Amino acid sequence: MGPWWVNAKLRWRALRCQHELFKDYYQSLLPLLDLPISRAPLMAMDLEMTGLDPLNDQILSIGLVPIENGTIPLGSAQQKLVQIQGSVGQSATIHGILDNHLTEAVSIEEAMAWFVSQTRGHILVAHHSPLDCRFLQQDILSIYHQAIVIPAIDTLLLEKHRLLREHSVLKEGSLRLGACRERYGLPIYGAHSALTDALACGELLLAQVASMGGAEELKVGELLAYSS
Amino acid sequence: MNASELQPVVQFLTSTAPFDTLPDDTIRHCAKSVIVGYYSKASGFVKFDADAPKLYLVRSGAFEVRDPEGVLVDRVAEGEFFGFSTLLSGEKVVNRVAILEDSLVYHLPQALFDQLRSESRHFDKFFTRAFAKRLRHEARFKAKDLTTTSRISTLMSSSPIMIDAHASVTQAALLMRNSRVSSLLVTDNHKLVGILTDKDLRNRVLAAGLDGRIAVHQAMTTSPISISSNALIFEAMLLMSEHNIHHLPIIDDQNTDEVKAIGMVTSTDILRGQGSQPLLLIGEIERQRDLASLISVSKQIPLLLQNLISADARAEEIGRVLTSVTDALTRRLIVLNQQILGEAPMAFCWLAFGSQGRQDQAACSDQDNGLLVAEEMDDYAKGYFDALTHAVCAGLDQCGYAFCPGNIMAQNPKWRMSLKAWQQVFEKWVVTPEPKALMHASIFFDMRSVFGPQSLFNALQDKVLAQTKDNDIFLAGLTGNSLIESPPLGFFRKFVLERDGSEVKGIDLKHKGNALINDIARVYALSAGIKEVNTAKRIRALMDANILNRKDALNLADAHEFIAHMRLSNQGYQHTQGLKISNYLLPGHLSSLVRHQLRDAFKVVHDAQSGMKMKFMRSF
Repeated sequence: MGPWWVNAKLRWRALRCQHELFKDYYQSLLPLLDLPISRAPLMAMDLEMTGLDPLNDQILSIGLVPIENGTIPLGSAQQKLVQIQGSVGQSATIHGILDNHLTEAVSIEEAMAWFVSQTRGHILVAHHSPLDCRFLQQDILSIYHQAIVIPAIDTLLLEKHRLLREHSVLKEGSLRLGACRERYGLPIYGAHSALTDALACGELLLAQVASMGGAEELKVGELLAYSS
Repeated sequence: MNASELQPVVQFLTSTAPFDTLPDDTIRHCAKSVIVGYYSKASGFVKFDADAPKLYLVRSGAFEVRDPEGVLVDRVAEGEFFGFSTLLSGEKVVNRVAILEDSLVYHLPQALFDQLRSESRHFDKFFTRAFAKRLRHEARFKAKDLTTTSRISTLMSSSPIMIDAHASVTQAALLMRNSRVSSLLVTDNHKLVGILTDKDLRNRVLAAGLDGRIAVHQAMTTSPISISSNALIFEAMLLMSEHNIHHLPIIDDQNTDEVKAIGMVTSTDILRGQGSQPLLLIGEIERQRDLASLISVSKQIPLLLQNLISADARAEEIGRVLTSVTDALTRRLIVLNQQILGEAPMAFCWLAFGSQGRQDQAACSDQDNGLLVAEEMDDYAKGYFDALTHAVCAGLDQCGYAFCPGNIMAQNPKWRMSLKAWQQVFEKWVVTPEPKALMHASIFFDMRSVFGPQSLFNALQDKVLAQTKDNDIFLAGLTGNSLIESPPLGFFRKFVLERDGSEVKGIDLKHKGNALINDIARVYALSAGIKEVNTAKRIRALMDANILNRKDALNLADAHEFIAHMRLSNQGYQHTQGLKISNYLLPGHLSSLVRHQLRDAFKVVHDAQSGMKMKFMRSF
């Protein structure tokens, strides 16, 4: 699939969407597709969830880190913790979010409204984006009764294409965020949170773009095409 | 933890000088102002935005800074900066910054940089390179009295003998016999619960008619008085005399909720520590009546050095103290040998050159000495001084001062001369300064008499200074010689960066640091006819005589002290780690701040070298 196909799909969705909020959301993305990465507003994203099943598990936190003019202004990085039904249970051992952290958490309805308003006009970037997007789509569907598709640049797929192009053998774990960062000499970050991982993902994208030919040369649409 | 906080960024700033001195709130504020950028090696050079100057803090990767002439200014890697000179001066960027590796960089805007400078003196000084003041404000350069400021940890036996509380008294006695100690620390579950001494065995076991099968905890002194490893020797002495005890367990002060013993100090250890005090040691040297006992007393010199280092004495003071001990030992050897050989046939001075002359001896110093006699020697005098000097030099060697590899020693007839002959030798060096001879001869210009009539020595020194003063050709030669070596540029990752861009693993603090400052001070002192030979005193005299301006002189003196201190503490570290004592420092061990300070110190040396070159080599 080429960039034209990404463009065509998005146009078609923007045209067909009946829900005003999401029609506007799609339309805000359309002018971005032809921009080079160096000028496009992007938004690196990471979610923490109670598990991996979008139908049964819940979002615990959302980290958003913008990428503007090919750089990451940390002052605009944000994170929201999300209230959940029941306890975080065993998943706490993975993400370190405990029940008592969730006192500052917002409802999933608030979180989704915030997410849509913050990412409007930004192309999302995530590591293994399909998982995060399915969770978001599931929650948006149940809150707004609107099925949507969220276009996102997937740093995992970009890396997979690169490794396959180099005829590398994909080893177990070689596509994990930390492993990908290591290949670009990026620092190792400890203690995972949605915010830290979103930053880690954003930095990885900058490194990948630099190795693919630079932020001036690559267009948003091309990266989206690589990500599907 | 604040939900919107970027831990990796905060952590990185917290471990990077000078941010590490800022309050937590300020660091969090900085983290939020950071803009992260990525520099690809393929793009070659950093493009600077003239409208928005910023501080570039390297998070990963590497850059190379070169001035407009292409001279290497610096190489920067993780935790280091570029771009601040523009922020400080407001002038546009002139240096070119090449991207050596793909790099992640934190950008800090000018407004934040200015704000941090105005809020934190430390931050400001760090970047305005006010190294002189910064070094001088370091607490460790304050003079300290040894007895009152040494830490108890320097005296304790670090592997104390311990026994479990449930072991039998017989087992304890066996352990004490086999390890030749008079006391044991008693532990229960690694926790210190008591102490068992010879006296306890006598009073609580034998005198009470008990046998060796009772458990240690029944005979021991429970909950013994102990002291933290961080305490001063002085405090330990007080505690022991207050409670009339002779054994003091040392406990780990890191872990306060559990009493864990890490060592033991006895009153004997403290007495032995006192014995290595310089005055006592010098007194002891003066009391010894033969070579064998002098050799055994001199075994305390390395301990004295260790104590001085661990007491954080000033490097200059350590040099003076150690040299006083060498002087005393030399004098005592001369006196003892004269008792055997009889009175000398004529007046003579024992000359100390090099580090002993400058009073900056450190560990493992070689001998550099000579003999100055009042008149031409006849055969009897030749025989007498030959015997005397051989005996004294051999004695020094046995006391730990190795023979000079270059044979600059009084036992070498070449360096045993009359006043007239010495004057001629110096005159020859001054009048025809050949580079090779000068390199060798620079040792001789740091000259002091440690024995003999001062008037005889003055007659030599006055003549030499009269010849060197304002002697352009000689001074240019001496300067040229001392410029053969240059200080390193700084550090690059785990390596030392040389001015030609090459990298070496360790830095020779003596030859690439202090020796260069010694050279600079010597050239200026000889040019002005200043009698001092100690480098710090020379610099002070040059400042007083307005030959060096106050700022340069203070910077140079501080750099000298700082590098010498690093050299000594490095040797102290090598000693405690059981490594070979050397002048080599591995940059991997240095904290971020010390790396920057050392870099500043080298810059001072480099600038002083350039100044000296301008002054003395202009017309050549």
